[in-house]
Amino acid sequence: MTAQDTELVRYVQIDESLCNGCVLCMKACPTKAIRVKEGNVARIEGVCIDCWECVRVCPKGAIKAITSDTFDLTEKDNIIVAPSTVLYSQFGQDILPNDVLLGLKRMGFGYIHDQSYTSEIFNLAIELYINENREKPNAPLPFISPVCPVVVSLIAYRFPSLLGHIPPLVTPREIVAREGKERLSAKHGTKAKDIKVLHITPCPSKMICIKDPVLLEHSYLDAAMGINSIYEELKNSIKDVEDDIVLHHSSGIGLSWGMSGGEISGMELKCLAISGLEETIHYLEKIEMGLLGDIDYVEFRTCTEGCLGGPYAVADKYQAKHNLQKLIHMFGMEKRVKYSYVKKLYDRGWFIIDKSPGYGKRKLPQLTSSEISKGIDRQNSIEEILRLLPRKECGACGCPDCATFAEDVVDGRTSLQSCMFLTLYPDFSKRF
Amino acid sequence: MTDLVKSFNVTARDFAKAGEGSLQIQSLLKSIGFDPDLIRRISICAYEAEMNAVMHGGDGEIVLTVSSRDIVLEVSDDGPGIKDVELALREGYSTATPEHREMGFGAGMGLPNINKNADSLAIDSSDGRGTHLKISFKVENTQ
Repeated sequence: MTAQDTELVRYVQIDESLCNGCVLCMKACPTKAIRVKEGNVARIEGVCIDCWECVRVCPKGAIKAITSDTFDLTEKDNIIVAPSTVLYSQFGQDILPNDVLLGLKRMGFGYIHDQSYTSEIFNLAIELYINENREKPNAPLPFISPVCPVVVSLIAYRFPSLLGHIPPLVTPREIVAREGKERLSAKHGTKAKDIKVLHITPCPSKMICIKDPVLLEHSYLDAAMGINSIYEELKNSIKDVEDDIVLHHSSGIGLSWGMSGGEISGMELKCLAISGLEETIHYLEKIEMGLLGDIDYVEFRTCTEGCLGGPYAVADKYQAKHNLQKLIHMFGMEKRVKYSYVKKLYDRGWFIIDKSPGYGKRKLPQLTSSEISKGIDRQNSIEEILRLLPRKECGACGCPDCATFAEDVVDGRTSLQSCMFLTLYPDFSKRF
Repeated sequence: MTDLVKSFNVTARDFAKAGEGSLQIQSLLKSIGFDPDLIRRISICAYEAEMNAVMHGGDGEIVLTVSSRDIVLEVSDDGPGIKDVELALREGYSTATPEHREMGFGAGMGLPNINKNADSLAIDSSDGRGTHLKISFKVENTQ
């Protein structure tokens, strides 16, 4: 394995002793990165965007991702905990967001930050950015939410021409971390590097984008932990909490962020909310073909129903959605954040990502014309092989579909004999 | 190097499948590795032309020709043809039916949009004779 391969397969890993060689993960992979070849086991050979689809469909539980579960929790004093708003939906409708935050405090964490309030601030910042930019000539409409890390990776790898549609704004989870560190170190004189920010999340991709962010040069967060790994302890801490401290400040707008449509719920723009990986790809294709240009902003979440459907959530996503809707109803949809306050921060550049080398760093390199000639030759060979293939899309050859098989044959990664139709019925293609 | 030539069928009034040819063109160009912004311009043109053929034209085809110098889309259909080409190139001019508009089409931006995104556009059409579009893109700026 080369160093480059090691880098590509770093986070999601397939346990070959558990893999039964079925093709479900290979079929599910949106970047066609998985092959089932030697030894009849699945291997990740291409670019992984950490979308988790393979983990979801694996019937053997053979696919896992590296997480931050090993994060040192012994010195909680210097840890800022910033939970995803999804956490508020996990304990039933009688447990309020403030109870959850106090439960975290009771667990011993030094500082607790309510991300739902920051999310409301971010909503206004997005509106300011879009109002400022949409009338510009060749404005990249619709703008695309920078919040879901899988969407950002998907765009960087598969739809790089859409990178310019992502507003260069720092996401709420990163703002929470950045500001939390700054404020604490100013207040207590603690060195910023001694303060750690822990994100509690339903999303395994958050852990990965903390280590290796696509849009930022480095993440302000230090670690992420799945809701599932903290759930039991937190649930026990929520009992009998003193409720005289108020940690939760948002209205239903910030609370709704966890579900599909939540991010755009408070916006006065023409917005769409799209969830699920397949639908996300479908709509990104549409945008790449110049459609939806009359829409201002699209919220994409690759998990069905939004972050509530994240793999590390504990509550059933529809149950959690019901809980969240009750909370939203209780807290109302009135903005709690002052426009003038956010405008001032916005004008100061508070939300804007520094145009660091990290911004869009995964953009594909541009090819020279001789490389393009080679690419055309390659594509001609691929088309030639495709004409021989049965187009059954069966996956028995170990490639996700016939087109990818043809690519692999041309690239010398597999041989034509691996197609069982061609081997069993050599004159198969002549029948058409 | 041989040019890559591939054709895609367009079926009149088949809105369920409309756009598939353009999608395939898009993914093929990505697979070769062209500049994303060039691919985007081509996809926009392919889609607009395909939708025009589906809405107004008869059955037809898109022929894609790719070389390292240029990329050409030839879109032909055996539909009723364009009565007034100059008028059809004007933004906002549309002959879309109410049915088309209900589906979100017919803003009169089809041909103007192609014209805007392509490096050159040749229209061969007249009343009753079908339509043939030749849409070309240069590939010289990819160094």
